[in-house]
Parts: sequence; C-alpha cells; structure tokens
Amino acid sequence: MKGLLIKDIRLMKNMKNSMLLIVVIAVGMGAYIKDASFIITYLALIGATFTTSTMSYDEFDNGYAFLLSLPVTRKGYVLEKYTFGLLLSGGGWLLGSVIAAVAGVVRNTSPLSDSLMMSMVMLPFALLLLSVLFPIHMKFGGEKGRIIMIIAMGLFFAAIVLGVKLAESMHIDLDAALEKLPAMKTEAVAVSAIVIGVVILLLSCRISIGIMNKKEF
Amino acid sequence: MLKIEHLRKDYKSFSLDCTMEVKQGRVTGLVGQNGAGKSTTFKAALGLIRPDGGNIRILGRDISDFTAKERQKLGVVLSDSGFSGYLTVADTVPVLNSLYEEFDKAFFLEQIRKAGLPDNKKIKEFSTGMKAKLKVITAISHNARLLILDEPTSGLDVVARDELLDLLREFMEKDEDRSILISSHISGDLETLCDDVYMIHEGKIVLHEDTDVLLSDYAVLKMDERQYDTLDKQYILRCRKESFGYSCLTNQKRYYLENYPKLAIIKGTIDEVITMMIRGAAL
Repeated sequence: MKGLLIKDIRLMKNMKNSMLLIVVIAVGMGAYIKDASFIITYLALIGATFTTSTMSYDEFDNGYAFLLSLPVTRKGYVLEKYTFGLLLSGGGWLLGSVIAAVAGVVRNTSPLSDSLMMSMVMLPFALLLLSVLFPIHMKFGGEKGRIIMIIAMGLFFAAIVLGVKLAESMHIDLDAALEKLPAMKTEAVAVSAIVIGVVILLLSCRISIGIMNKKEF
Repeated sequence: MLKIEHLRKDYKSFSLDCTMEVKQGRVTGLVGQNGAGKSTTFKAALGLIRPDGGNIRILGRDISDFTAKERQKLGVVLSDSGFSGYLTVADTVPVLNSLYEEFDKAFFLEQIRKAGLPDNKKIKEFSTGMKAKLKVITAISHNARLLILDEPTSGLDVVARDELLDLLREFMEKDEDRSILISSHISGDLETLCDDVYMIHEGKIVLHEDTDVLLSDYAVLKMDERQYDTLDKQYILRCRKESFGYSCLTNQKRYYLENYPKLAIIKGTIDEVITMMIRGAAL
C-alpha cells in the first residue's frame, strides 16, 4: 500500500502545474461567483479525476502487468486507489470548503455556519463521485471509461429531468415536498447522507476488487 | 522453485500446453519463436492471466495462494511492461524501498551508477538498453530467490547484452540456492548462462535438455541422398530435405562421428537445434 501511494504521489509531480492552476482558478471563483458550493464540488471532482489519471499512467504501456508482479495484490491495488482517491478528493473538498468559507466571510455573502453546513452537504456528493468514477475507470480503462462516464452522467441527469416531469404530470408538488425537508433536522439529514455515501463507497470498492480480479494482463 | 504442470491456456488461434520445472540453484532457459507461448507461460506463472487448466507451484505454493509478502522473493522482468515512463529512477527508489523489506538501496544505486542511468530523467526518455538495464537491476536488488525474466535482453546490442548477463551471473554467484527462469529468442545468451533449456513451439514444449548435453551431444549431420539412404537413423530426432541432400539432428553426435567419419557434422548450438526441431520432420 505505502509503496503504491508513494508511486502515485510521485506521478502527481507530472500534474503539479495543472494542480496549481486549478487552485488559482478556485480562489478566483471564490472572489467572484455567488454560489460558493460549486468550488467545493469542483475541487473534489478534480481530486477524483487526478486519481483516475494515475490509473491511466498505470495502464499506459501495459504497466499493470509489471505493477502486479511486484509484492502487490489486486485487492491491495484497488484499496490503494480508493485511499488515494479519498485523500485527493477529500483534500479538494477540504480546500474548496476553506475557500468557500473564507470567501463567504470576507465578502459577507454567507455566514460561517452556513458555509460549514454547505460543505457537509457536498461531502456525500464527493463520495458518490468516487464510487461511480473508479469502477468505470477500472473496468473500461481511460479512453472508453471517459465515454462511458459521459453517458452515465447524461443518463443521471435525464433520469432527474424525467422524474421531475413525471411528478408534474402526476400533480405532485416537489417544491412543497422539499419545503418540508428543513423541518427535519438539517444535521440529521447531512449525517445520514454522509453515512449513505460511505456505504456506497464501500460497495463500489467491493465491485472494483471484483473487476480487477477478473482482469488479465 | 517453480513447477508448471500441463498449464493450459486457450486463445482463438493459439493454445498452450506447457510442463516445465525450474530447480533450486539452476538457471533454466525457455527458447522459442515469437508467439510460441513464452510470455503466456510467464504471465500465467506470475498470476497475471488465468490458466484454463493445469497446476503452477511457485516457491512451494500454488500461484492462486501466492501472497504479496511471498512475492517479495521474486524478481520479475517483463518484456512489454515496466514502471510508468512518467517516473524517474529517483522516484522508484522509495517505492521499491517500501515494497521490499530486503531492498538493498546502496546496491541498487551503485548498479544504476555503474550502468550510467540518469537519476532524474523520465524513464520514457530512456533508450531501449537503458530501460532493459533498469528492469534487471530492479529485479536483482531485493534478495529474490527466483528471478523470472521474460526477454530481458531483447533489443540490446552485444555489449549491453553481455553486461546484463554478467549481472545475472553475479546474482547467481552470491547465493547458490537462487534460481532463474529466463526466456530469449537470442539463444546465444542462453548457451552461456543456462544449466538447462526448454524449447517451446506452437504452445508445446518440444525439447528439454541440459545445456552441456545439448552442446556436447547434439549435432546436425549434413549428407547427400546416397549417404542418407544408408544412414542408421535410430538416433536421429529430426530430418530436413535440403538442396544438397539432407540435414539431420541427432543427440548422439559421437555415434555418428565414429561410424560415419565422412559425414559433415556440425556441432549443435541452440539455434541449430531449435531450427531443426521446428522445421525438420520427425522420422
């Protein structure tokens, strides 16, 4: 595990310029845009895609064959990627939250407690993102994986739009339903969302191990 | 050290059925043409592909039960795979150091220096020879008991090949319990290094012999048709029709030397033997 983590950190050196640029953009967004929650998802997403980039580096030139001839099991490889993904995406989420909170206080657009709540709400999204991105990348590899990811995103939004339309046609008032949500304790909602996110992530990890075990190199 | 019994792997246009063994303290070679099944055998032995049948035992354990910790006792070179080209040699040091408990950093760096490999250049910018040297140095730097080397000398010039073979000889000299399985399609490499050689053709082992025996007892006999007709063929393994008459492969050179002094007898080399085994016909 440690050896692979070191390898991935060393691989990240190749991406340090783009990382720096992204942080600058995020800070810039904090200074100008209204909806600071976007910065959090943006940085968490970047963290996740950087992790899949390290998978692409591993895959390049049939590198998996060599990696798995080292003292590394397939399961160990998957666990390392999820750990690295959590570190990077979690790091992105944390950095995004800090930028959003600072921007909220400095620009006086949102009080600190609101910003903190928002970043808590964003955390399960970051987990969900990893849960979807990683198995797809492991199954289909970099090139095909990207296409499938785009299709998956498209289907996801299509499902939401369809759901809303369906609700409308059945005369269900979604707004009223959403209005009722704050009546529940917001903290309870956030915590249960995070728990669900973690469960999905564990499930996704299990699926990825299955995918890796089936592969031939 | 490594025992492969009836390893089967079926592809659409190719199927492998391989039985071989690498014994403790020995260097065993696997020769064959491109596509004969060498890499498939290696990959199955390392658990990189799933066999369709047969048994593979490595360091006394079934390959499917082989743990990450036990893999520390292997040193591996694959012909078509290595560390990511985006890493440098300096990047690989801490990686190897945490993967292998017995990684000998001083030895590794010394070999890197001797081989003239740059520390901070990306591996993808290395020449073929530099990459090959790095792979072998990586494989021998953590006190492995068994080296599994698939075409470690491919694409190298004579001098670079010689340097690599010297590294492997030094590796064997340090501990007599160590073993090596090495494949090559340049059989000259193997003649000087291997204790025994397996020849693989179209997925099957066609010959297994000690290198000494191969070099001393095998020979190719060249003769015209009249000589061929009167030849005692009981020690002839393969025959081939030539423009001048026939070439025959024997594993009893002395018998023919003594009884047919007029025959042209060419000392067996791995190249001669493999050519005859593959292109000649059994009698």
